[in-house]
Amino acid sequence: MAVIETQNLTKIYNEDQVPVHALNGVDLTIEKGEFTSIVGPSGSGKTTLLNLIGGLDTPTEGKVWIQGTDLASLSENELIEFRLHHIGFVFQAYNLIPVLTAIENVSFIMQMQGMAASLYRDISQNLLEEVGLADKIDKRPSELSGGQQQRVAVARALASKPDFVLADEPTANLDSVSTADLLDMMAELNQNEGMTFVFSTHDQRVIDRARRVITLVDGKIAEDERRE
Amino acid sequence: MITKILTLAWKNVWRNPTRSGVVVIAVVLGTWAGTFISGFFNGMIQDYLDNQLELSVGHVQITHPRFVDLYDPKYQVEQAEAVVDTLQRDSSIRDLRVMSLASGLAQSAVSSYGVTIHGIDTAQAENYAIKQYLTEGTLLKGITRNPVVVGQKLADRLNLELRSKMVLSFQDINGEITAGAFRVAGIYDSFDDRHDQSTVYVDKSDLNGLLGQPDLVHNITFFLDDFTAASSVAYRLGGQFPDLLVRSWYEISPALSYVFDTTDISLYVVMVIIIIALVFSIINTMLMAILERTKEIGMLMAVGMNSRRIFSMILSETFFLTMAGMPAGMLLSWFTITYFGRAGINLTAFAEGLSAYGMSTVIYPELSAVYYFNITLMIGGMAILSALYPAWKTLQLEPVEALRKI
Repeated sequence: MAVIETQNLTKIYNEDQVPVHALNGVDLTIEKGEFTSIVGPSGSGKTTLLNLIGGLDTPTEGKVWIQGTDLASLSENELIEFRLHHIGFVFQAYNLIPVLTAIENVSFIMQMQGMAASLYRDISQNLLEEVGLADKIDKRPSELSGGQQQRVAVARALASKPDFVLADEPTANLDSVSTADLLDMMAELNQNEGMTFVFSTHDQRVIDRARRVITLVDGKIAEDERRE
Repeated sequence: MITKILTLAWKNVWRNPTRSGVVVIAVVLGTWAGTFISGFFNGMIQDYLDNQLELSVGHVQITHPRFVDLYDPKYQVEQAEAVVDTLQRDSSIRDLRVMSLASGLAQSAVSSYGVTIHGIDTAQAENYAIKQYLTEGTLLKGITRNPVVVGQKLADRLNLELRSKMVLSFQDINGEITAGAFRVAGIYDSFDDRHDQSTVYVDKSDLNGLLGQPDLVHNITFFLDDFTAASSVAYRLGGQFPDLLVRSWYEISPALSYVFDTTDISLYVVMVIIIIALVFSIINTMLMAILERTKEIGMLMAVGMNSRRIFSMILSETFFLTMAGMPAGMLLSWFTITYFGRAGINLTAFAEGLSAYGMSTVIYPELSAVYYFNITLMIGGMAILSALYPAWKTLQLEPVEALRKI
């Protein structure tokens, strides 16, 4: 079963005024373990596609299935719970909670899932070790570099043991060294643990590392390239 | 999870210490100002009530049922001695004042003025509050024949001094006009100008001699340990003395009763006004805090924080922000009310205005534990009230829109 499947996915903004067709009938299937980049010029619909796949927005037409579950069949609260248990998010601006330490940021997701304190502390520590931040667990975001914050964000995304991780322009705010480190780390997680990653990006360095590159133009898939 | 949300909310409160500090200080000062003003007004009103009751009204009065209409001296308290005996046996009753009364005219060489003449028993002088307001002379002592004690206002009006002569004329029990020459034995100056101008005190035997019956008693006034029990005591005694009119201070002075009854409402109105001001200040601060964190809240929604948890978090933040200042405000209020409740607040500079309204110049703020408790509840309620709108506003955010905010 595909991790992500979309059918005729369409999103039109400002339907009542001047309609903007952000997505025009996107059919997409992403299998477990893929390392996929969604690329395209500004306004091509990358972020819209990610938002729809992540259940953050509702399509004007078409459907999204995550592990066989039709997102349209879920109520608002069910959708929030679904995101909590099935989807990991990494944002361009990291979006960590500034008043919490690195380990608290990672633990927070598991606490929301209702995990026992005895478990989430160890899991968070392991995740931060995996992303190379074993010595920074008690640091607040303001005490970490951009690259380190994005690593914490990846650890947080993985904390819920999601079916896949959606990363919207994850390297946009990072320097080249931090970008390379982050990509190495995510590629390792993909290869070693089979974690599915879907990026939207402009960054050629990310595109170069992807094993599948989907190019969007004017809200449609213009090219779907698979690499070995 | 609730512990985590509470912890996060507490940390969020201190995310911007300066801004939160300003709100906390505003809550401390608002709580203090509201509570202290309540204590001040309460002290002023209680003082006013106590003074008025002590000076003239008493807690319960017994008269002939028809005496109160026209002060006709023929309507006396029959078998007054038996009534007094009964009252003296009651341990809850104190400071009995057994008086004869007449309504008449005070005249001096220069002017005249309408007065109420109180014929008092000098042996019970300690029971009369007027004694403490004497500024010159004595309470009917030092002058052998027909001494009188007058208020400073009346003395000024009639141009009287100690030992000055004056004439009191009034109706006797037969309805005839009678008059007597009196000499000023003492001058008093109470907090109530109207009382000082229109009330004179003479020896009961002198007054009764002029009224035409030596054992006349028109009014028996007494006090209770608890002045709020006056109605029930009056009701009980009314049953014991069915031919007499027994009235509590509530009935004698509806104006005082109204003041007493509305004290609570007045105090809470003051508090509510201050609380409303604080509510808007807190809502404003919280809305700013939410506006600044829109993206972060969007992220929390995106990663799976449901609306109930977000609502709880914002509710808790506002509640903490408010309640952080409340204990300090209450403590400061308690300290200042206790201190000034002993030391008093001297308002001598406004003495003239205050006396015109029958108020003392030194106010002793006081507030019962019930008020502190209720104010605490009101501030708690305010905290929740202030929290609802920002929390509701947060729920209107859509994660995808919130995440787009800069």
